[in-house]
Amino acid sequence: MKGMHGIIFSYGEKPGLGQLTANRIHGSLPFGGDFRVVDFMLSNMVNAGVTDVGVIMHGKCQSMLDHLGTGKSWDLSRKAGGLKLLPAFAYSESRGTVGPFRGKMEALGSVIEFLRHIRQDHVVLSDSDLVANLPLRDVLAAHIASGADMTCVCTSHPGESGDTYFTLDDTGRIVDTAYDVRTPAGYQSLNIFLLSRDLLLELVEECMAHDRYSFRRNVLQEKGKLLRFNGYVWDGFAARINTVQAYYQRSMELLRPEIRAELFCAQRPVYAKENDAASTYIDPSGECINSLISDGCDIQGSIRNCILFRGVRVEKGAHVENSVLFKNTVVKAGANVRCVIADKNVEFGPDVTMAGHPQYPLVVEKNTKL
Amino acid sequence: MKKECIAMLLAGGQGSRLYVLTGDMAKPAVPFGGKFRIIDFPLSNCANSGIDTVGVLTQYRPLELNNYIGNGQPWELDRMNGGVHILPPYQSATGAVWYKGTANAIYQNIGFVDLYDPEYVAVLSGDHIYKMDYSDMLRRHKEAGAACTISVMEVPWSEASRFGIMNVDGDGNITEFAEKPKEPKSNLASMGIYIFTWPKLRSYLMADEANEASSNDFGKDIIPTMLNAGEKMVAYRFEGYWKDVGTLDSLWDANMDMLTPGSGLNLLDERWPIHGRTAICPPTYVGAHSDVGNSAVARGCEILGEVKNSVMSTGCRVGERAQVSYSVVMPGAVIEDGARVSYAIVGENCHIGAKAVVGAPPEEADDPDSWGIAVLGPHTCVAAKETVPPKTMLDHTHGKETSR
Repeated sequence: MKGMHGIIFSYGEKPGLGQLTANRIHGSLPFGGDFRVVDFMLSNMVNAGVTDVGVIMHGKCQSMLDHLGTGKSWDLSRKAGGLKLLPAFAYSESRGTVGPFRGKMEALGSVIEFLRHIRQDHVVLSDSDLVANLPLRDVLAAHIASGADMTCVCTSHPGESGDTYFTLDDTGRIVDTAYDVRTPAGYQSLNIFLLSRDLLLELVEECMAHDRYSFRRNVLQEKGKLLRFNGYVWDGFAARINTVQAYYQRSMELLRPEIRAELFCAQRPVYAKENDAASTYIDPSGECINSLISDGCDIQGSIRNCILFRGVRVEKGAHVENSVLFKNTVVKAGANVRCVIADKNVEFGPDVTMAGHPQYPLVVEKNTKL
Repeated sequence: MKKECIAMLLAGGQGSRLYVLTGDMAKPAVPFGGKFRIIDFPLSNCANSGIDTVGVLTQYRPLELNNYIGNGQPWELDRMNGGVHILPPYQSATGAVWYKGTANAIYQNIGFVDLYDPEYVAVLSGDHIYKMDYSDMLRRHKEAGAACTISVMEVPWSEASRFGIMNVDGDGNITEFAEKPKEPKSNLASMGIYIFTWPKLRSYLMADEANEASSNDFGKDIIPTMLNAGEKMVAYRFEGYWKDVGTLDSLWDANMDMLTPGSGLNLLDERWPIHGRTAICPPTYVGAHSDVGNSAVARGCEILGEVKNSVMSTGCRVGERAQVSYSVVMPGAVIEDGARVSYAIVGENCHIGAKAVVGAPPEEADDPDSWGIAVLGPHTCVAAKETVPPKTMLDHTHGKETSR
């Protein structure tokens, strides 16, 4: 059938995220006051008419499993198709390995039976670390119109040296793929790949047969001469969340109206898990300046340049500045908090002072009571 | 399929005293408290009380309500056995009739109730704001061995003549019932929340339908008839917040109560959560030059101006230098730069132009008798610099201004 099937990779470690991913995979990291990082990619898919999505998981997937549930929140709880959670248990056992996937091709190989049953003609592959609201429908249209074998979404925004970079020719074809480069040049890959189901199966089977596991080496580089891989350039807001600093800076960018207008555009809503929190209450003594606030907060103190998740309580006389406070953070009276990322259920006791630096924000671990 | 207790929720009323707010929707669908709609309260009470089968009786303009309730998932009422069912009037072999009264609405759905063969039926109203554990009321009903239990609360003596008033004996048995008595003998008012033993109610509904003189109403007909027949009827005393939001003033009051510590209405209290359908939108943004105080704010708002003592619902916008005070702003309303909204109810998706003035504080009124809150019906547009005086109502046709 026509259309796309989604595959999301949710495995691997990102040491740069430190404590933020101590108990969760990066895809289930809270972002933007109401969301988890993976919500953005799931919403991109759903907004492009995708009805079937497989999430390949390995490692610390408990919080991801909790978050995704039946897929209802993204309208992916379907009679046929819908959201399919693909943990790696069976694969690890059959291979006799307990280690993480060495690469995307190995991850895909682990679910080859699932791939064989994909109903749609096309498959879109994506990581779960990307915060962007992009029109995958347009990517599919461009892919079909160009006749390319695979279309890879990339951006001209600069990235880090560990990222993957494409060199495009005048026709949009990827003529070179490079990674771990000292001086990044070309287009940074956003790691969204669109190709036909048949080609995907062919590539996966070939890689499995030769114990090749790396998507970028064994597919992007080695097949780039034989097959036609095109770049699709997306220069809107796109944040790949790899480090605490990136997490903090990209979060703070949401306080800019033009960024919000792009990321939360009306044509393509970002779906998140529903909650039962009531409206936020702002007390007469509360002061909210330039901040993003979710439901169920109780603000009696002062917040400035902050992102507040659900159910945050800031008591009278408390000051919070340039900080990101996850769900149910409590800031007691007289506490002073600056440049901090507070994980879930953190409590800053009365008169506690806690400060990081804008370039080096302080992460306070989940459930910490200070 | 058997259930011990199911609930029948009366949601068919027009709510004519809410005027322009209910021109296009039934009263229970009216937004409340920023994130919710009125019907979230009884539905959440059912869910929290362990009642998993609810019939919602609709008649007047049900589109918005049906759309909102959907499959009942936000209230955990999408169940294989039971769940929420919308029950509009229907045509039968002998003809078609609208719901003639509250009792007739249940009468017409005896078949639905019988499907679940319940021992007890709770009859609830769709226009009250309160948090109540129906299972505790049911326990009282069972312990007393009553045919009917009516939830009551003490009201100020001065207001008692506005309610259905119960006289009770020392054991809480109802001895007398008077609808809006001139000289009340008690200050125990009926809250319009009943639990009946179903076989009893079933037979009284049949008899009531056969009586052509009856107005087919619970308060006017069923309750007095049962009392006169000597049925055991007991009062269940409720202590807590309860408000009938059937009028514009009471709707505004109840929203303001939410902002008042000690009013008893605390929606942030997680012990008895109110569930609602969550809108898909990002968190609220409060700007660098805004000033928000003593207000409830739902998500998806953008607040650049001043908001004081107000309730902002999902997806509202308050422009720069705009001022909102003592107002209830319903979902999707836009208040442009420099506009001033005070003591007002602003309906869904209204658009208030720059520097327009809607409503005014009572202290600015020349004549206190002519003062009242200003109300804009859904989708009303107020032009830039236009003034909407206090106690005015406008709807989206913007035809004639009506005074209440």
